Amino acid sequence: MIAVGSTDTTLLAAIAATKLPFVAFAVILLLTRRRPRLSAGLSLTAIAVSLASAGFLLVKHWGIARPIEYAALWLAGGDVSVRVGILIDPLSLIMLAVVAAICLLVQVYSLGYMAGDPGFSRYYAFMSLFAWAMTNLTLAPTLLQLYIFWELVGLASYLLIGFWYEKFSASEAGKKAFVMTRCGDVAFFLGLLLILVHLGNLDIRELNGAAAGRLSPTVVTAGALLIFGGIIGKSAQFPLLTWLPDAMEGPTPVSALLHSATMVAAGVYLFARLFPFFSLSPTALGVCLAVGTVSMLIASTMAMVSRDIKQVWAYSTISQLGLMIMGLAAGNYVAGVFHLTTHAAFKALLFLCSGVFIHAFHSNDMVVIGRQGGRRLRVPMACLVIAAAALSGIPPFSGYFSKERILGALADLPNPLWVAAGLLGAFLTTYYTFRLIFIILFPAPGGEDTAQSHGSEHGHHGGYAVMAWPLVILAAVSVALGFGEKAVAQFLLNPFGSVTPAAAHHAWLPYAALGLSAAAMLLAWFEFGRRGAGQIGFVERVAPLHALFGERWYIDRAYRWLLDQVVYRLFSRLCARNDQKIIDGAVDGLGRVIAAGGGRMSILHTGMVQYRLIVVFVSIALMAIYFFI
Amino acid sequence: MEFTGFPYLTAILLSCVTGLLVILFVPDENRSAVKWVSAVFSGLTLALSIAVFLLYDTARGGLQFVERAAWVPSLGIHYLNAVDGFSLPMVLLTGIVFFTGVLTMWELDHRVKEFYAFYFLLVTGVFGLFMSLDLFFIFIWYDVSLFPMYPLIAIWGSTRKEYGAMKLTLYLLAGSALILPAIIFLHVQAGGTTYDITALMQPGTFSAADQKLAFLLLYIGFGILAAVWPFHTWSPVGHVAAPTAVSMVHAGVLMKIGAFGVLRVGMSLCPEGWQFWAPLMATVAVIGIVYGALVALSQTDLKFVVGYSSVSHMGIVGLGLSTLTVDGLNGAVFQMFAHGIMTALFFSAIGYIYERTHTKMIPELGGLSRIMPVASGYFILAALTAVGVPCLASFWGELMVFIAAFRVYPIGGVFAVGGLVLSALFMLRVVQRAFYGPPNDKFVHLTDVSFRLGIPRMILAAVIVLFGLLPSILFDVIDTASVAFIKGLP
Repeated sequence: MIAVGSTDTTLLAAIAATKLPFVAFAVILLLTRRRPRLSAGLSLTAIAVSLASAGFLLVKHWGIARPIEYAALWLAGGDVSVRVGILIDPLSLIMLAVVAAICLLVQVYSLGYMAGDPGFSRYYAFMSLFAWAMTNLTLAPTLLQLYIFWELVGLASYLLIGFWYEKFSASEAGKKAFVMTRCGDVAFFLGLLLILVHLGNLDIRELNGAAAGRLSPTVVTAGALLIFGGIIGKSAQFPLLTWLPDAMEGPTPVSALLHSATMVAAGVYLFARLFPFFSLSPTALGVCLAVGTVSMLIASTMAMVSRDIKQVWAYSTISQLGLMIMGLAAGNYVAGVFHLTTHAAFKALLFLCSGVFIHAFHSNDMVVIGRQGGRRLRVPMACLVIAAAALSGIPPFSGYFSKERILGALADLPNPLWVAAGLLGAFLTTYYTFRLIFIILFPAPGGEDTAQSHGSEHGHHGGYAVMAWPLVILAAVSVALGFGEKAVAQFLLNPFGSVTPAAAHHAWLPYAALGLSAAAMLLAWFEFGRRGAGQIGFVERVAPLHALFGERWYIDRAYRWLLDQVVYRLFSRLCARNDQKIIDGAVDGLGRVIAAGGGRMSILHTGMVQYRLIVVFVSIALMAIYFFI
Repeated sequence: MEFTGFPYLTAILLSCVTGLLVILFVPDENRSAVKWVSAVFSGLTLALSIAVFLLYDTARGGLQFVERAAWVPSLGIHYLNAVDGFSLPMVLLTGIVFFTGVLTMWELDHRVKEFYAFYFLLVTGVFGLFMSLDLFFIFIWYDVSLFPMYPLIAIWGSTRKEYGAMKLTLYLLAGSALILPAIIFLHVQAGGTTYDITALMQPGTFSAADQKLAFLLLYIGFGILAAVWPFHTWSPVGHVAAPTAVSMVHAGVLMKIGAFGVLRVGMSLCPEGWQFWAPLMATVAVIGIVYGALVALSQTDLKFVVGYSSVSHMGIVGLGLSTLTVDGLNGAVFQMFAHGIMTALFFSAIGYIYERTHTKMIPELGGLSRIMPVASGYFILAALTAVGVPCLASFWGELMVFIAAFRVYPIGGVFAVGGLVLSALFMLRVVQRAFYGPPNDKFVHLTDVSFRLGIPRMILAAVIVLFGLLPSILFDVIDTASVAFIKGLP
């Protein structure tokens, strides 16, 4: 590291925050695999120190206006130098705090959830790997570093989704997640190369600063769109969204940490990170806005028909990430980032609460959980309701404040369609959220207590207390965070000189949003909550719609077809055939021709004296003719 | 005669040859003595390779450890050894693969003495080729390393071993049939006085037309060995047929000889030929990258998958070489090293599994992670390296090559980068089918790799991670050679 003063506490804290989890990962994997308690202790210590450092940095640099950057050379050669370093500014500080906090809480929760699992040490090793990659991604000063750790969080995700690798669906889901995000990453990587070729480096600050003005608008648009491809993959946006619901095959704490609160939010974080760069290209922003909107709406529809509790939250994650992207693409930086923060808290809470139910009832099916008495688990039930209210944007929970900001930003756009889409999204979100809540709270009477578990995870009883604390803390945060809105907004905008365009005040907007939410809640109550409700949603009554939403708009089928028929059947088989029949066929054919030729030649070698004499005679005669004539 | 200081390079060769001779004098029945002798001498060779690597002065760069002696002065043949930034990683790679290969074959009990004797001979040729700077010797070393492959595969191999051995030998001989005329042609065009590459490298030695012709011959000749598409089919078949350690050397080192030959002989002596044919090289390389991955997708034999992935990965090397840039060369040589270590780990892990399960067919395996977590872990690590996960060695080579390729051949670069998706697809597919899922009842009684048997895999895995985290150790060395090389281009 350059410019290391021994008293530079900022640097020390940043190094502690980003490097310790790696140490924990390496030590667990190499030394303490057979000692689960020690492994968990190491991992928790590392992430706790990370969180403390993140908190220290946040406090120390509260109100920071100029970013602080440290860098060291990782690799240099030719025209390329790869720097590794730390970039501290409001955005990265907030994200770092979110990541470290959720990591710690989820790891504490996992002590109970994963207790007794034969892969306990491996679990904590992978968790540390993730924490290491994610913190370094967050503080990356260059896009290349960001990309490197972006790939590594993808690796951690692959390993954790397929954690119970003996289950076919789990290993399949891990593979799917990796390959689908890889598709987006290829676009991201090409975007990096494009920018590198035209700009000469990949420094984030430079890219966001005046240097990007040197680029031609075409390059900016192309670069922004290619990078957005990576965001689509990582944040599971349309059309690369189907890996995320499958990723729920992983242990529930993993879903809470990676697949809702932090890793999938890395896509949105990247968008926010490069917000000034993206802003240079209205075309790119338009595309982002459209993709975000489509993802938000179709994911909400999918959530309306799923009975798998984790799937619902997965769809909801896609939809909320889409909402954040809409906010950012609408030009409101604070709205997107603030929603990312609040969402991290309440979505992690939703997953962790659901994890308690799944752990207790060995089922992911909300109907089964309801019938078996889910509401008797009071703490998780109460926390679930709080988180659901935050998700639905009901005041005074935090989701209300961040959602309002995004809706406000959408209302500022000239085309009213966007805000209409946003409001529709709010309606659908509240509907599917409370559908789930009512089904668990008020199970339909008379139904047989079907103990058969649908795709349950093999959990183990016990450790309830250690699982409850993170819930309570997260619930408190979900309630309180909304009131920090002003302070966070001010902090975030410091580097921009706080010259935010004063947003037009839409007085009607909160009423409209709340009214729609209330209507959705009533509808959900009517269909699922009230005594004697049939617990059949209005979507489920329309068979084609039900099929469409339940089949994820047939997106998955299209991919499967593409993979099986086009990639495997057509290209792969074709190439393999070509290898066997044409290339090898030609080579073997050549061999056969030569062998056959040798066989023909061998006829000459009959060993008959008369025959040889004839040949000698003819040869001499031919030579004589050649030489004398 | 010119030797500066201790002749490390000759010592490496002598260590191999001495090992070979000692093995020949150990009684046939005493298998463990043969193994220990092999381990000691290959360990010594590895130590010497590491010493050369560490003693190389990167600040000075250029050719170092030069050892020159006239061999047949009347024909201009010299015994001339030296290393530079290109050959140094290859020497280190060979040392590592050689030593770990010996340890990997520790459980061999069929004609042990002959096996190790041939194995030592093979590696001697490889070392000689990487260190030699005399065209005549390069050709001799090429054939020395080629000849033992036939008995090694035909006797100790599996799965259509005679066919594989024959195919490999014929292919490689075809390659040498192109290399030899090219070498003689260059020798004659330069006046017929020397085979010394350093002398022949002087600009203006060969006319542009001669360079184009000679380069094409050398490129195809050596390219066959590097499994350049469409001359690659010997390679997967050979991998599959060969015994474990030979697969390791074959994929890990022998294929690098091809790429290295193109670099050392073709590109050094015929830079204009290289520039002329570069677009062709790039096209072929990109086809190889995508094609290899596609064929790998529909393989059912573990070794075939790795074999075709090698075709794809060697395509990345070829692409790097075709860019005519410092980054491209850096990346290509780094990728050669990384790929060598990675495939050695692949085959070492497969070898252990095959020894136990007696099958390499993916559908028959399954759930191995539960039965032998450590052995599977090594395979999975190699697979992740092949997928291009950052902080594992291969990533850096690919990164540099892609950066260079995108600058020079944007369209080819896009296709090559797209190949990343395919490589993730086929590698993870294999990992899932063979290692994940419920354990197969047939194999539940099998034991995991013990610490002692795990040593070679541990070394390889450590090297992958080391160079993944600290790539500059290698890049700084390679950079000295490629910067000078590109600067010297006409």
